[in-house]
Amino acid sequence: MSHSPQPDRVKYAFILPAFLLVLTITLFPLIYALVVSFQTIRIVPPIPPRFVGFDNYTEILGSARFWGSIQVTAVIVFISVALQYVLGFALALTLHHNVPGASLYRVSFLLPMFLAPVSVALIARMLFHPVLGPVNEFFTLFGLENLPFLTSPSFAIATLITVEVWQWTPFVVLLMLAGLQGLPSEVFEAARVDNISTWRRFRDLTFPMLLPLSVAVVFIRLIEGFKIIDTVFVLTGGGPGTSTETLTLFAYNEGFKKFNIGMTSALSFLFLIVVILFGTLYLAAAQRMIRRYQ
Amino acid sequence: MLDSTDTPHIVFDRITKSFGATEVVPPLDLTINKGEFIVLVGPSGCGKTTTLRMLAGLESVTTGAVHIAGRDLTHARPGERDCAMVFQNYALYPHMSVRENIGYAMKVHGTPKEEIDARVGEAAALLGLEPYLDRKPRNLSGGQRQRVAIGRALVRHPQVFLFDEPLSNLDAKLRVEMRTEIKLLQKRLGTTAVYVTHDQVEAMTMADRVVVMRAGVIEQVDAPIRLYEEPANRFVANFIGSPAMNFFEVATRDGAAWLDGQRLPLSPETFARIGARDRVTLGIRPEHMDGGDAPAPLTLRCDTLEPLGAHTLVLGHVGEEKVVAQVEPRFPAEPGQECTVQIDMSKAHFFDIDSEARL
Ligand SMILES: Nc1ncnc2c1ncn2[C@@H]1O[C@H](COP(=O)(O)OP(=O)(O)OP(=O)(O)O)[C@@H](O)[C@H]1O
Ligand SMILES: [Mg+2]
Repeated sequence: MSHSPQPDRVKYAFILPAFLLVLTITLFPLIYALVVSFQTIRIVPPIPPRFVGFDNYTEILGSARFWGSIQVTAVIVFISVALQYVLGFALALTLHHNVPGASLYRVSFLLPMFLAPVSVALIARMLFHPVLGPVNEFFTLFGLENLPFLTSPSFAIATLITVEVWQWTPFVVLLMLAGLQGLPSEVFEAARVDNISTWRRFRDLTFPMLLPLSVAVVFIRLIEGFKIIDTVFVLTGGGPGTSTETLTLFAYNEGFKKFNIGMTSALSFLFLIVVILFGTLYLAAAQRMIRRYQ
Repeated sequence: MLDSTDTPHIVFDRITKSFGATEVVPPLDLTINKGEFIVLVGPSGCGKTTTLRMLAGLESVTTGAVHIAGRDLTHARPGERDCAMVFQNYALYPHMSVRENIGYAMKVHGTPKEEIDARVGEAAALLGLEPYLDRKPRNLSGGQRQRVAIGRALVRHPQVFLFDEPLSNLDAKLRVEMRTEIKLLQKRLGTTAVYVTHDQVEAMTMADRVVVMRAGVIEQVDAPIRLYEEPANRFVANFIGSPAMNFFEVATRDGAAWLDGQRLPLSPETFARIGARDRVTLGIRPEHMDGGDAPAPLTLRCDTLEPLGAHTLVLGHVGEEKVVAQVEPRFPAEPGQECTVQIDMSKAHFFDIDSEARL
């Protein structure tokens, strides 16, 4: 049988339906939201849409609440992701070296990740209750009674960071452990024979060899972290005042408390820009670091 | 040039190794002298790598003791043993250039930069790695990687070199070159070397003494030529030499060995040593079947001929048993016909039929 190549155009015809479907499903809502962000739309009370140009954007960019929420989000994300990475990597290293009972730890360390953030936040709310919670009892032992875990701005941020770290460190452990187990063991044996200390083996071999994975893990956690809402919603509701209000919570409050859909859409796009901005900066920095090692 | 001495350097004192319930290495005794080039050889899975790793400290010793230079290092960390190892699968640092790979250990141990550069340059020149010094291992061929691994071990000037099949990925020509280089270098440095291979030619050409292993047991430790001339048992006789030795079940009586009704006369001393037996294994190498000091004619059925240029191999049968004979190129033989070769009976070996030990 001869094998003549298919005429080129036919193959595009076959791909077209799938292509259009994906385009409609992914792009249509985005474009719709973009259009809405240039309008004033209120569902309650229903007012006919009115085109307002960049008014929504200028209003948001001029509001201190928006800039505050960016700052809150950035602080929570950067500190918690840094802690997640350091802790997670350390735990993965420990588990990798088969400490006694490692398999038990392996399972229990992963549990927090499988819980819904809302339930984690609810549990945390009980734990951090300023009067009834066990955390309060613990600090009372050191003479620090009734600390305002959820009611003073800096305490509340610290509490949110703690909960984030508790819930998402396992994710880092899981991926870093997989990375460690994929490393070629002979390379480390060669280093041991050459009398390279544990610390230098980590610094010169393990860390650089896992750097691309580390970059990916941190990137995923950064992007995910920026979307934090449920934990904040349940734990502090953005309070006291708006001192723990994150970007997404701000958008939610605009959309579902004021029912200002146009404003919310504009906020979503600004959120997208913020994430892309931070993401790009991060990847550029990471790229330089990887290039130095690879 | 330093020849191997008689000073013991590495002593294995009844070491054993078990993985769980399986004993991979039963009690093993071996003394390696200072400056000696020892080759561990044996079929795949016989425990060569395991033995080498126990010496390096990468594998714990189940029972027994390892001494290096008079010190008991059975439980010492690998780094305390001052060995340098070349791994079967290179084990190069993937993110470092060739230069960094070779110099890394020296750098960590605080060797001055000029000395590192000098030693790396020297090793690179020796191993033909100069054009690749700034490449990453992933951009090298298997043979080049292996040479980097060898270079990394050489520059450290350790007490002991450990090689785990370092030449297995090189092409035939490079392998021949490299084995000479390694051997010369080892002699020049006077460093004790333990070298694992399953290539018996490598073992014979490089070793001061060869250790033949089977299933964790040392079958014989001897100089290569003694291994060839006086194999301790049938396994060693079969393992050393290419093409492999022919084995026949024969009877001995009346001052001769009887094979398939043919009489192969023995010297009086040989017959006195073996005595009259109904069943005994006669071993004769293919290269000793074309005349010599005590030729005895043996008629065999020729199945096929393999001309190799310098000589020809006759593959055939004597009775039911297969035979390979190495004869001169113009030897008169036809496939399917009978032919007569001249066995050099002074080169014949006899092994007990049950214990397989040399008689
Ligand atoms: N970690 C391990 N657990 C269980 N058995 C093992 C382990 N490592 C090696 N063995 C077994 O020990 C035996 C010897 O292995 P070893 O690697 O020393 O063989 P080798 O002589 O180096 O073979 P090769 O020539 O194929 O490299 C093998 O039967 C192998 O299956
Ligand atoms: Mg091996």
